[in-house]
Amino acid sequence: MSDENPRRRPLGPFGGALAAPLLLWLLTLVVLPNLILVGYSFCDRDDLGQVVPSFSLEAFARILDPTYLHILVHSLWLSGIATALCLVIGYPVGYFLGRAKESWRNKLLVVVMIPFWTSFLVRTYAWMILLRSEGLINGLLQITHLTSAPVDMLYTEGAVLIGLVYAYLPFTILPIYASAEKLDGALVEAAYDLGARPWRVFVHVILPLTRPGIVAAALFVFIPSIGMFAIADLMGGGRVPLVGNVIQNQFGQARNWPFGAALGTTLLVLFLALLAWALHEDGEEALHR
Amino acid sequence: MLSRRPLLAVLCASVLALLGCSGDKKGPDPAASGAPSGGPSAAPRKQAGKELLLFGWSEYVPEAVIDGFKKETGITVHYETYASNEEMLSKLLAGGTTFDLIQPSEYMVEALIKQKKIETIDAANVPNMKNVAADMRGFPHDPEFKYCAPYMAGAVGIVVNTDKVKDPIKGYKDVFQPKYKGRIVVVNDAREMVSWAFETLGIAPNDVSAETLAKAKPVLAPWMKLVKVFDSDSPKTAMLNGDVDIGVMWNGEAALLYEQDKKYAFTLAEEGSHLYIDHLCIPTGAKNKLGAEMFINYVLRPEISKLISDKFPYMNPNAEARKLLSRAQRNNPASYPPRWFGNPEDVIKGMPDLAKRGDSFRDIGKLATDIDKLVTDLKAQN
Repeated sequence: MSDENPRRRPLGPFGGALAAPLLLWLLTLVVLPNLILVGYSFCDRDDLGQVVPSFSLEAFARILDPTYLHILVHSLWLSGIATALCLVIGYPVGYFLGRAKESWRNKLLVVVMIPFWTSFLVRTYAWMILLRSEGLINGLLQITHLTSAPVDMLYTEGAVLIGLVYAYLPFTILPIYASAEKLDGALVEAAYDLGARPWRVFVHVILPLTRPGIVAAALFVFIPSIGMFAIADLMGGGRVPLVGNVIQNQFGQARNWPFGAALGTTLLVLFLALLAWALHEDGEEALHR
Repeated sequence: MLSRRPLLAVLCASVLALLGCSGDKKGPDPAASGAPSGGPSAAPRKQAGKELLLFGWSEYVPEAVIDGFKKETGITVHYETYASNEEMLSKLLAGGTTFDLIQPSEYMVEALIKQKKIETIDAANVPNMKNVAADMRGFPHDPEFKYCAPYMAGAVGIVVNTDKVKDPIKGYKDVFQPKYKGRIVVVNDAREMVSWAFETLGIAPNDVSAETLAKAKPVLAPWMKLVKVFDSDSPKTAMLNGDVDIGVMWNGEAALLYEQDKKYAFTLAEEGSHLYIDHLCIPTGAKNKLGAEMFINYVLRPEISKLISDKFPYMNPNAEARKLLSRAQRNNPASYPPRWFGNPEDVIKGMPDLAKRGDSFRDIGKLATDIDKLVTDLKAQN
C-alpha cells in the first residue's frame, strides 16, 4: 500500500490514455455542470425564473437574508447530528466487519449493502408505515399498554433524523470497515504487551489508526445529507424546510434559478473547503508519522 | 504501512464498494425513458406522427384513454409526469426533450402564451371544443381557447373526518384553531396558502404585492404552526392513515376520500375559493402537432371525458360528459361543490352563478419568489 512500492512499474507513454474515459466523464458530468451552476448564480432572471445573461449579485445578497441564513445554519446543525449518530452507530459495525473472519466478511458486507437493492423512496415509505400514528410501532406500544394514546413520531424532526441516519449509515460503515480491515493487529497486541488497558488501546492505538476511515465516513454523511430534501418532505411532513428544500423550491416553485444556483454554489464552496481541510490534515498527519 | 494519504485511499475504496452494490437509487431518468416522438417532420400535411409525447400531471390521464387513442389512431402516447406547474415549466424550458402535449393550469397557460412557449390550436382539427361547458369559458388567460383546451378543473377545499371532528367546519377560520394543532394536512403550495389568507382578509387572490403579502403574513403565521403535514402530491394519504383529521386539499383528492367513505365531508371555504382549470396545450416546436390536436379532440369526446372522471373525480369541464355521469358521481360534493353548482341535479346545467366560482389565478411572474419566501420564512419559524 506504500507509495514507494519498489515493484511498481511506471506507466508507458500512452498510459495516461487509460484515464481518459474517467477524465472525460468528470469533465462533462461534474466539472462542466458545476461551472454552469456557478455561472448561473451570478446572473439575473426573467419572469419565468430563467437565467438571463446579465451580471447580478442579487442571488448572493439574498442568502444573507435572516430567513435563509437561519435555514442554512439549521440544516448544517441537523446534518451534524445525523453525522454524529451515524458514526456512533456505524463505527462498531464497521470495526466488527473489518476484524471479522475472512470467510464471513463478504457475507456480512452484502448484508450491509442489501438495502441499496431497493429504491430509496420505497425504504422511506416503509419507515413511514412504521412510524405513523396508526402504524406498527404505535400499534405495538398500545397492545402492550406501554402507551394509551398514539405517540407522535412521523412528521417530526426526529423522524427526519431517523431518515437521514438510516439512509447514510452504510456510507459510514464502509469507510470505517476499509480502515479497520487494514489495521495492523500487531500494533494492538504490542499495546497490550506494553500494559495498556483496553480503553487506552482503543483511544491511543485503534482510534488514531482508523481516523482516516472516520473522517471519510463523516464527509460521506455530512455532505449529502445537507442537500437531501426528499426525507424532510416525506418524513418531516414538509414542515421544517432544509436548505435542500429551499434550493428545490427555487426551481420548482419560486421561479428563481439564480438564487437556487447561488445556494448550490455556497454549499459547493463549503464542501470543497471541508474536503481540502480533511486532505490537508491527512497529509500533515502522515508527515508527522 | 499506511500510505501517505490514507484518507484518500479510504475514500476511493468506499466509493468503489458502493458503486459495486448500490445501483440506481433514484430510478430511471425520466428524460431517458420516453422515446423521442418519431414521425418525419417533413411528413405530408395531413399525416400525424406515430408517437405522441405527453407531459402531464401524475395520476391524471387514465390508461384506458391512452389505450383507446392508440386503438383508434395507431398513435402511441408516451405519458411522462410532473407534480407541479413550475416543475413542468423548468423541464420544458430546460429543453432536451420535445414534448407534444403539456397540461398547465390557467395561470401557467397565461405565462406560456406571454413567452410564446405554446402554439395555437387549429380549431378545424378540434371540433369537439364545442362540448366545453359554458361555466368553463371566457377566462382571461385564453378566453377563446386559441391556445388551450380544458382537461379537468377543480378547487381547493376543506375535508373533515366527521368521525373525529364533531364541530362544524365551514371555513379557514374554523380549520385553523389551536385545538386542531397537529391534526391538519394542507397542500404544500405557497400560492394556494397565501390565497387562503387573502380570502380571509377580503383581498382578491391576484392582488399580489409587497403590501398585500405583508397583510397576509400575520394571518398565515399562526396557521402554519398548527399544520402537521404539507403535501401536494397525495394529501389524502395522511387523512387515510389517521395521522390527521382535517385537510385543505385538491377537490379530486377529496372526492376519492368521499368515494371511499362518506365520513370525509367536503366543503369550499365560506371565506371564498377559486376555480382552477388544467388544460392541454401544444408546446412550441412540437414534432407531432397534428397528433396532439387529434388527442385533444379525442379527450373532449363526451364518453372519453367521462372515462377520466371515472378514474380521477375532479370537476369535469365537458357539458356533454357531465350528462353521462352517474348519480353518485354528480352527488359527490367534492367533485361538484354545492356552493358553486347548487343542487346535485343541477350539475348537468352547470354553475348557475359564474361570479361565485371566484377569480382564477393569473400569472404573477417574479412575485412567485416573494410568495415562496413568505411561506418558507413562516415554516422556518415553526
